[in-house]
Amino acid sequence: MRAVDRMIEVEDLRVYYKSVLGDYKPVDGVSFTVNANEVFGLAGESGCGKSTFVEGILRLVKPPGYIKSGKVIFKDQDLLSLKDISDLRWKEISYIPQGSMNSLNPVLRIEEQMIDAVTSHVDIAETEAREMVLSNLKEVGLPIDVARMYPHELSGGMKQRVVIAAATLLKPSLVVADEPVTALDVVVQRSIIQSIAELRDKFGMTVIFVAHDLAAHAELVDRIAIMYAGKIMEIGSVHDVFLDPLHPYSKLLIAAVPSLKKKVVKGIPGLPPSPLNWPVGCRFHPRCPQAFAKCSEELPSFEEVETGRFVACYLCR
Amino acid sequence: MDFGGKLITSTLRSLARFARGFLTYMRLNTKTMVGSVAFFSLIALAALEPSINYILLSGHSPTEMGLFERTLLPSFEHPLGTDATGRDLLSLVLAGLRFSMIIAVISGSVATLVAVSVAFLAGYKGGIYDHILRSVTDTILVIPIYPIAAIAAAYVRRIDLFTMSMFLAVLTWPWAARTIRAQILTLKEMVYVDLAKISGLSDYGIMFREILPNLLPFIVVGFGNALMGSLFIETGLRLIGLGPTEIMTLGMLVNLLINWGFLSLGRYSPIVVTTFLLVLIFVSVNLLNIGLDEVFNPRLKKVTGL
Amino acid sequence: MTNVEQSLLELENITKVFKIGGGLGLMGRRSIKALKDVSFAISGRNPIITTLVGESGSGKSTIAKLVMGLLEPTQGQILYKGRDVRLWLKNDRMTYRREVQMIFQDPYSVYNPFYRVERVLHLVVRNFGLASSSSEARNLVAESMEAMGLRPEDLLGRFPHQLSGGERQRLMLSRIFLMKPSLVVADEPVSMIDVSLRSIFLDNLLDLKKRLEMSCLYITHDLNIAHYVGDEMIVLCEGTIVETGEAESVVGDPLHPYTRLLVSSIPIPDPREKWKTSLGVEDITLKKFEAEQGCVFSNRCPHRMEICIRETPSLISLEADRQAACFLYGKEE
Repeated sequence: MRAVDRMIEVEDLRVYYKSVLGDYKPVDGVSFTVNANEVFGLAGESGCGKSTFVEGILRLVKPPGYIKSGKVIFKDQDLLSLKDISDLRWKEISYIPQGSMNSLNPVLRIEEQMIDAVTSHVDIAETEAREMVLSNLKEVGLPIDVARMYPHELSGGMKQRVVIAAATLLKPSLVVADEPVTALDVVVQRSIIQSIAELRDKFGMTVIFVAHDLAAHAELVDRIAIMYAGKIMEIGSVHDVFLDPLHPYSKLLIAAVPSLKKKVVKGIPGLPPSPLNWPVGCRFHPRCPQAFAKCSEELPSFEEVETGRFVACYLCR
Repeated sequence: MDFGGKLITSTLRSLARFARGFLTYMRLNTKTMVGSVAFFSLIALAALEPSINYILLSGHSPTEMGLFERTLLPSFEHPLGTDATGRDLLSLVLAGLRFSMIIAVISGSVATLVAVSVAFLAGYKGGIYDHILRSVTDTILVIPIYPIAAIAAAYVRRIDLFTMSMFLAVLTWPWAARTIRAQILTLKEMVYVDLAKISGLSDYGIMFREILPNLLPFIVVGFGNALMGSLFIETGLRLIGLGPTEIMTLGMLVNLLINWGFLSLGRYSPIVVTTFLLVLIFVSVNLLNIGLDEVFNPRLKKVTGL
Repeated sequence: MTNVEQSLLELENITKVFKIGGGLGLMGRRSIKALKDVSFAISGRNPIITTLVGESGSGKSTIAKLVMGLLEPTQGQILYKGRDVRLWLKNDRMTYRREVQMIFQDPYSVYNPFYRVERVLHLVVRNFGLASSSSEARNLVAESMEAMGLRPEDLLGRFPHQLSGGERQRLMLSRIFLMKPSLVVADEPVSMIDVSLRSIFLDNLLDLKKRLEMSCLYITHDLNIAHYVGDEMIVLCEGTIVETGEAESVVGDPLHPYTRLLVSSIPIPDPREKWKTSLGVEDITLKKFEAEQGCVFSNRCPHRMEICIRETPSLISLEADRQAACFLYGKEE
């Protein structure tokens, strides 16, 4: 794989939080590569650390959180070693935070907000900015009247499209979306997922799609990473991971997703561990039906078992 | 009778719950800890004052004139000296603390009680009650209280401690009523209130057992503000020479000391001590309030846990 | 007296209008018709789980609150065991509360943060006189926790923030076990807990249905779950019922165009089966105030006819206990 085909490379990222009780370690050694022009899915349940991870790679971690170690290589630069990445934001890397559709400024019209965003990052005239905004809204499939409306006049799905439009105004190479379809109805969810797919297909962008809904990942992403307890358990193409999951957690997680085909759904017994006190050895071993002695002693390393297929499990050696 | 017994146990249980809630909040933060320790120490001092002065003055009242020689300088028998009428100043300061605390606490408590009742009636019952009570509250809020207080003080020559506290309470209750009402409006929409309703809890049960405990911090802050508001008005009036002279509050004492020329004669210690105690009352209550605010608005705290 | 089989719960022509904004009704007051002439019944013959499926804004949570008596209908009535709920609440409030209970959606805000978690159980014991002494009460509470597979020693004395979302919802099931109601209204009980913990809750619910012979009105937006737990299904669209029938049939062979849209939009956790067609822009609606006449789905329906804009279709009975409100299946004369 040529280096230019890699959009972003994360190496052993650790994000910790200080507290009187000790250090919380929500992201504790995460490494992966996202290729250009793909939608990369990051899946995991609540508490696995995926939102903190996103904050980490985008340098948005606020005290008492801090980046303990790691590298995030984007276009031959380590983002974590730069002074700040504000000139990259919006232009090269765009971020759609969780719940952003509810954070639109309620007292400004849509076009005003978007023009504000453009002119504060790029030095162009307002008229040019307005043209950009209007054509962008059309590209994400919104009727032109939306520009003159206020956020409260729009439905949830439309607000989410506005947010996507705003994030892609300056045609960034990488878009990071944190739970963009979680609070939406199933029909709207489908159309937003299709919009995100268009970012890849029509505009050649790379997307990191963070969500806990595995079914959404199955419909959208090219490759997927399964995260649990601050670490990645498995990475592979979406076909490989869904149809032939290697890690026991991936297997159980996929079996727990209900679908109209199956009548039986199995849960995972036990509870996720606390980021203050990760279990020794493999993080999943207390709940793993296939755990054996070594699993509780030593953390299994994250290894490439086939090209592009990574697992952290002793069963897959 | 069994009913009386049940009433007593349920009241005691409620009090115990409130005490627990109070301690939970108090322990959470250094500012609330320091503030409440300081405040309760002042209350203790004020409460013990009669006994202290009984011992120091062998049964005489601290306001009794001519007990000692006039305008003595500080010494071992009179750590702050004596005033122009022969009263020991240390005893007088302690008495002043007591009177100030009584006024502050009584008017603060009455104001808070009225505020909470009004807030519940307006916020929980809503409708016409809300409209009427809000008009009343807003009207009083608009009236300038210092001029009113000054006028009242100028006209009334003799007034007792209790009546004065009541008057100050009437002027200060609306502020807390507004905040608490707003909080009640939010709290009554909480899901756990719905759960209580379908679990058979009556309206009063919901008000006292579901909503009130979560109002505690706001009530404490409201109490603090009402207390400080009343004391501030009282002290302010004293410093311009208004108010009943027979009630020897700290403010009154400062006024007297200045009139007797202690400041120009360089006899600072009594004034400093009196002022310090006054300031301490305000500082301790403020610390308590700010601390409580920090607890409920965690972004004010810089690092978790501190 | 005719031998009419009494339904457990019946909604008759329920309309609910909310007024929002404005002061004393002078300026800026708007009405929102959350429910428009909704009628359905839950049979009292056997314990049954009826799922009520709808998207946000469909009015499904409003139905939950109406059944529980937390809201009053603007028009129409709700009958429990043949008697108006308003009468129940006026004359036999505690009996009604005992027999009809609810599980809420948000496992966090349903607990009063000031108290320990077991209070939700003790409250019920106290108010309904389920125990004659405090030791008996404690036993009952522990038993109901164990019945739902929870360990009392793990939960007693804890505060809500110390428990996970899944544990809190299962404790709500313990509360249901304690009360043994005839009907429980579940408002999206698993939407806020992790996928891996949902099946435990759902299996517990199904178990309760069997053990307590309890019926359930299960409200959700997730068709997968509705299909998993439901015996019967009711599909709600913008305050109107558009389809009813057996859950299997409604999902396997949806009749109403809205149901078809919903079923086809469910994401399938299998990358081989992606959505075949993509949605057009017309499928995204601009929020506007509802027209008074016409089918609620007419602005988005691919089969829209002229009559659909003029008249509102009513539920027509079709074969095998199925109903659909759509002019495609004819008109009720």
